[in-house]
Amino acid sequence: MRLDSYNLKRDRDLLWLLTKKETTLQYKRTILGIFWSLLNPLLLALVFYVAFVVILKIQKKDFPLFLLAALFPWTWFANSISASTVSLIANKSLIKKFPLPKHFLLTAGVFSQGVHFLFSLPIITLLVYSYGKTAHGIWLLGIPLLLLIQFVMTMGVSLAVSVINVYFMDFQFIVAFLLNLLFWITPIVYQLDTIPESYRFLSLFLNPLTPLMSSWRELFLSNKIHWNWLVNAFFSSLVVFCAGLIIFRRLNRRLDEVL
Amino acid sequence: MSEFVIDFDHVWKGFPLHRDRPGFKEFMVNVHKWAERRGEGDNYFYALKDLTLRVERGECVGIIGRNGAGKSTLLSLMLGTIFPSKGRVRTMERVTPLLELGGGFHPDLTGRENVILNGVLLGLTKEDVLKKLPGIIDFSEIGEFMEIPVRTYSSGMYLRLAFSVAIHTDPRILIIDEVLSVGDEEFQKKSKEEMIKLIKGGVTTVFVSHDLHAVQEICHRVLWLDHGEMVAEGEPSEVIKKYREIGIVHPLSGH
Repeated sequence: MRLDSYNLKRDRDLLWLLTKKETTLQYKRTILGIFWSLLNPLLLALVFYVAFVVILKIQKKDFPLFLLAALFPWTWFANSISASTVSLIANKSLIKKFPLPKHFLLTAGVFSQGVHFLFSLPIITLLVYSYGKTAHGIWLLGIPLLLLIQFVMTMGVSLAVSVINVYFMDFQFIVAFLLNLLFWITPIVYQLDTIPESYRFLSLFLNPLTPLMSSWRELFLSNKIHWNWLVNAFFSSLVVFCAGLIIFRRLNRRLDEVL
Repeated sequence: MSEFVIDFDHVWKGFPLHRDRPGFKEFMVNVHKWAERRGEGDNYFYALKDLTLRVERGECVGIIGRNGAGKSTLLSLMLGTIFPSKGRVRTMERVTPLLELGGGFHPDLTGRENVILNGVLLGLTKEDVLKKLPGIIDFSEIGEFMEIPVRTYSSGMYLRLAFSVAIHTDPRILIIDEVLSVGDEEFQKKSKEEMIKLIKGGVTTVFVSHDLHAVQEICHRVLWLDHGEMVAEGEPSEVIKKYREIGIVHPLSGH
């Protein structure tokens, strides 16, 4: 019954409307509106510029670009996870009143954060040119691939954290802590080579974000797709997604009793 | 020829009675067992017990019973927002709720934006909702307020708009929970007429109400629930008569 074309079209509309709602509501009562999507990453960049270039006096000459090429994708991931953690509770009134597939709410959240990420791509491009580099045709292949991989990975984590947090609201604080930890153990403000060689392997294979974030940076800074990292990130994302899905399905059936 | 569009097969629905939350550690260790333990143990309160019910296409079934009899649980199961602990629930067609009206509205979205989102949540494509938009605006009498956020609406306007969306979505199965009192007297009359028109027009309806007159007037069949169990079922006049005789007498005896 659910698979006919009318329902497919309706599901597509629903996902679009929920994404639009998530994206626009955030800025609904602000003056700058959607421009905050552009302004937020710029301000974030400024903070890191002050910290690392002005205060810490990092010598690396293209450090801002180096940092932002990984920081912006990370922000998409981290904000999506923070939003997903509380998503089911925040949308309780919808869940209880409409027979709505819950994963739509999560997908809409990740999409909406993805929209903000897309807004930061022009900033990266601008920086690339300001450091005398150029954009490259390979971006047209690399960006969609990495977007897809990161989406799958983020959805996996979202599925798991969203349901767990309904049962245990303590979890949102643990998630906040873990995100913070993850930020510093993933090569974002430093590069993979900084990690001692004996641990590099561990980071690449135990932290799925390592190959992903490194791939983004490699793409923007060197105009190259590092296929080893990309394939690693791809399979990691599948593992994360399946794990998330299993947890979600396990806990979803009883969700109505506790929500 | 009977064709069933709602089919409840020995349905039980339990809720954990004491929200004794196990520690996080215990949860992580026992995740697998925990999910399987559904609906068992002494800590469960059963809102519905072994209910078997079938509703034919085009039928209007009234559900009566005291507070806490399981009526709302029954509707939520039909709607698919909750799942049975035991047994099976099947609905063959789209279910349109007329429950807590306006629940899906977001205060910061305009009337129009909310109508579109609500219409799609109720199962239509955006294209179809847009086609029905003039009819919805007209019926709700909201007029020029459609373009401003619903947080500025009066509660009457809010409910009128929500009601209008729901009845304009080509309902196949309508589930109604005490909503005959929408807005002022005039709109109440209008909304009641509209619902009766839908029911007479062959929309399958499940109608929960404490208004026994309305139930007798509208429904083809009545089901009397008490403490999650079916007490009586059948001709509206007979069941309601029985309910009036016995149902009101013993509310205090159970406790």
